[in-house]
Amino acid sequence: MNCEQLAALYEEYALGVLEGDERAELDAHLARTCETCTPGVAQARWVVAQLALSAPDAQPPAALRGKIMDAVQSSADSARGVIPIEKPKTSQQRAMFPAWAWVAAAALALITGYTIRQMNNQNDQLAQLRKQMKLATMQNQALQNQLDMNRMVAMVMMSPDSKPLKLMPKDKNMPMVHAYLHPHMGVAITADQMPSMPLARTLQLWFVPKTGKPLSAAIFHPDSSGEIALVAPVTMPLNEIAALAVTEEPAGGSPQPTSAIAWMAQVN
Amino acid sequence: MERILQRDSGALEVLYDRYGRPVYSLVLRISQQPSSAEEIVQDVFLQLWRTADRFQVSRGPLGPWLFTMARNRALDFLRLKREKQRRREDSDSEILPSAVVRPDPEGDIDQSRRAEKVRALMTSLPETQRRAIEMAFFEGMSHSEIASATGEALGTVKSWIRGGLLRLRESLGEASS
Repeated sequence: MNCEQLAALYEEYALGVLEGDERAELDAHLARTCETCTPGVAQARWVVAQLALSAPDAQPPAALRGKIMDAVQSSADSARGVIPIEKPKTSQQRAMFPAWAWVAAAALALITGYTIRQMNNQNDQLAQLRKQMKLATMQNQALQNQLDMNRMVAMVMMSPDSKPLKLMPKDKNMPMVHAYLHPHMGVAITADQMPSMPLARTLQLWFVPKTGKPLSAAIFHPDSSGEIALVAPVTMPLNEIAALAVTEEPAGGSPQPTSAIAWMAQVN
Repeated sequence: MERILQRDSGALEVLYDRYGRPVYSLVLRISQQPSSAEEIVQDVFLQLWRTADRFQVSRGPLGPWLFTMARNRALDFLRLKREKQRRREDSDSEILPSAVVRPDPEGDIDQSRRAEKVRALMTSLPETQRRAIEMAFFEGMSHSEIASATGEALGTVKSWIRGGLLRLRESLGEASS
């Protein structure tokens, strides 16, 4: 189907009702970031999202707002503002002050100096804390991303529409790699006890078509505990995939395999 | 959104005041359980707080993006419930919505106007056609699942949904012009 024919299906695709060949066709166009279909589907998502407004109006519980704000408040506090430092105000002419006033002024200057030093220390501590908080936020985001990915992997693995595959290693000492091929959600890859790899090398997953050259599906690296868990989009019709294969490639991957197949599973 | 990226929780309060009610209404319609709806809405706004950097202002208004995220969450909950009934297993998902693009000169201000349009359109549809669209949107069912549930021919269901969505697209086009 060409883009003009697919245009009639954009809203149904955004609604999630499309199935079979029609969905696969549109998936394929989106996978290659088709200039017509990508913005068309994005606009259709806007149209379909408006159906949310047809839900019967309901008032959320009053406490819900507070619950949400409580949950975000602590992290917001730590990222907020700097303590302001006010400059000491200048005094009047020296001749106008009696001796006791000079003593008081000197004491005040000492106290002010001490206070400013203390505040500077506190600002340094705050800057340090903010730096630590930023680092913790980045670590948290990384964990969150990993969690997102693990959940997507679990979804694909659990789907009854997924086809489980075992990618057998060519080297008997290597562990088996599991794949779950889903027509819409993508291909989930899992493995554990993988040996560590140098950063200059990477593993690359390929869709091997019945005819033609292999198509790159994903590049990946085992984590520090030797585990792999990822979901990659399926960029060609399932019925045209003859096999899944994994090769070892230079970091960043290769347009075509440059080494022997390390793992492989027949699909069709 | 700029203020949320700067971790200003006051900005999230403003967004909640604006979208909390329609998002809750949507999630309650899908989940049919007030306690679950509350949890899902909380989850959606916390997700917005955590992943605000993934929303691109240039690519469209926030409202539809939020509705799409809430719908995905609520449908995940629904599927999980069905799955649990079938398999007694547990799962969850945190897939963020894809780009929701709409040149929208009036921003989210005309949300109530669009809501009127959408409700009027849905009310004007024949009962069977409206029900088919609701099954797709609020229950996450596919063409064939709707055909199976309603006992109608697959072609009929497709034409109901396609026709209804076309009218929705036209109606919203008029609303924003």
